[in-house]
Amino acid sequence: MSEPAWDVVVVGAGAGGAAAAYGLSRRGLKVLLLDAGPRFDPSTDYPLTGADWDTQDFPEKPGSRGTYTFAAGQRLAGPEPLLASGSRGLGPLVGSGARLMDKYHHVRGIGGTTLHFTGEAHRLHPGAMKMRTRFGVAADWPIDYAELEPYYVQAEELLGVAGPTSQGARWRSRALPLPPHPLSYAARTLGKGAAALGLGWQENSRAALSRPWNGRPPCNYCGGCNKGCPRGDKGSADVTFVAAALATNRCTVRPDSAVIRIEAGTDDRVKAVLVGGTDGSIERIATAHLVLACGAVETPRLLLASDGLGNDSGEVGENFMDTLLVSVGALHPEPQHGRRGLPSDAICWDYNAPDAIPGVIGGCRIYNAAGEAELRGLAAFALGAVPGWGLAHAQAVRKLWGHALHAGAIGERLPNRDSRVDLDPATRDRFGMPVARIASSLGEADIARLRFMAKTLHDLVAASGAERIFESYSSWDWFSATHVFGTCRMGRDPQSAVVDADGRSHRWRNLWITDASVFPSSGGGEAPSLTIQALALRTAERIGKG
Amino acid sequence: MRRRHVVMLLGLLPLSGVAALWPFRRARARDGAREHVADTVEAIADVMFPGDGLPGARQLGLPAHVLAMPELAVPIARGVGWLDAEAARHGAADFLGLDATGRLAALDAAFASGDDGIQALVLALRFHVGMAYYTHPAVKSAFAYTGPPQPDGFADFAERPA
Repeated sequence: MSEPAWDVVVVGAGAGGAAAAYGLSRRGLKVLLLDAGPRFDPSTDYPLTGADWDTQDFPEKPGSRGTYTFAAGQRLAGPEPLLASGSRGLGPLVGSGARLMDKYHHVRGIGGTTLHFTGEAHRLHPGAMKMRTRFGVAADWPIDYAELEPYYVQAEELLGVAGPTSQGARWRSRALPLPPHPLSYAARTLGKGAAALGLGWQENSRAALSRPWNGRPPCNYCGGCNKGCPRGDKGSADVTFVAAALATNRCTVRPDSAVIRIEAGTDDRVKAVLVGGTDGSIERIATAHLVLACGAVETPRLLLASDGLGNDSGEVGENFMDTLLVSVGALHPEPQHGRRGLPSDAICWDYNAPDAIPGVIGGCRIYNAAGEAELRGLAAFALGAVPGWGLAHAQAVRKLWGHALHAGAIGERLPNRDSRVDLDPATRDRFGMPVARIASSLGEADIARLRFMAKTLHDLVAASGAERIFESYSSWDWFSATHVFGTCRMGRDPQSAVVDADGRSHRWRNLWITDASVFPSSGGGEAPSLTIQALALRTAERIGKG
Repeated sequence: MRRRHVVMLLGLLPLSGVAALWPFRRARARDGAREHVADTVEAIADVMFPGDGLPGARQLGLPAHVLAMPELAVPIARGVGWLDAEAARHGAADFLGLDATGRLAALDAAFASGDDGIQALVLALRFHVGMAYYTHPAVKSAFAYTGPPQPDGFADFAERPA
């Protein structure tokens, strides 16, 4: 049999796959970076110049959305007046008595979900990495913050992260490469409320350029991050890690290439992947090393669909953690027009430590979501914020447009045995492989944390001068997850972890994982992409070194 | 036998001619009903989104968008029937026979009726016509900061809104 053409095949060109491909190719390894989705062209796929911008989400292209199903939603034990999702204008979101399993937000394609992410660049709170030892929940990370810190620095440099010099417990060996963005007007309004409550309120660290960086222009504060950044100032993986990997001339990128199965050898090494093309063809690609970076839903699905590869511990697909979110929108007496500026440009870390919330294990962070209603445009505001119809409605919309003030909170999500990703027994993809089925059930600690988050947000918008809350959404009754974690957790013990401290399978010595599925705990609401990239750079240094 | 058949057929001709006209009469009745539903939906749209100095929803031609949605055809027909009955309770021939105040009151009554189907229809019309209305260029242009994100962004993002 001929030698593999590639030193490493990386599956998934999002945050973790792109960073791994860069880390490997800069070492001189020959890398093939595959993604099931297409290549996007920012100038034509999401120019954000159309008058219909407010009805356009991040674009869908053939292959850019994976197929998945949901297990039945958790029964809701209510009432939870602070947590029930809905708006004054549109009414309750959920009326069934069960949690609405709505959407797993992701993008397949070169750049992956970073193409539509907000672009927050957070380091994990050091204290959130030892949840088992400190609190008896989740699992400990087998590495600590100090081990990860140099890789955070590398990722921040490549991305051009802009942010403040200090973020409390997140000590750093080098300052962020770019100064923070000025706070938007609406963020400053919320900042007054935070000050009145005695809460910290600072610039968020953002993978969006505050100055030109590596040939990319600075942000022009259009607020459109989640619809795709046509300028390239947002640090999505396509314009950062993928571009850097390609610049080494040792990385080949192949879109529209869905890995449908992993082929294992008879020893302790995987041999190849079977790749499905858009024309239905199937190609076998041999590799010396295989890196999976498909995210916490697709990575376990691929392993389970490959005859349970790497699942000797029985933990593949288990310990699923999704986004624990509350957002609150209120009307302020003064116009804010929070659509202007970077979304989530300000943040409060006061409750981020895992023991910071009184009586509840696991932290959260609070942020400016002031543009939320207006980021969805006039129609979303008119229908959601202002109830009724007729002349009075029209006059109220005229009066109140621009007055929305939003605050959000994202918190720790603890794993439990009712939350997992497994194979759907009934639904198959176009290659005949079973699709992922997502089950999510919140524990009492998660719900208690949500209550704290909601109460704090209510206090914050009130202290900021807002007079009436017009909408509130929460993960209590609504599964709408972008950040997902934990389904191939890392750990030292092969009996309880899928990969080791280096991201290598305990069973298969050339199989590695560099996405958020390896997270043993979710952190206290930090956006995960920077940590994924730091882990991927670290893993990339270890591949092929014995 | 053959002759009798011929006579019978001749005798049936006038009847068959009348019978042949039935589909046309039914079609005309259907057209009339369809027209009534369309007129009523247009009136509802104008009650909901009258404009306040801007063109109203009917003037912008937005109800046609809702009437073209096949999934709403049956609920709309039922809802129009409900509104006509409500108008009749107030002495009008139908919803269209009410004045502006009466139409608004009938719509409010429909939403408050406790009838899930009627409530859902009112919300569906509000949502679909409202989305079309507040995304229409003629309406958006009357509001600040509704233009596309690019190419200019918002240079004034840190300032008090103009």
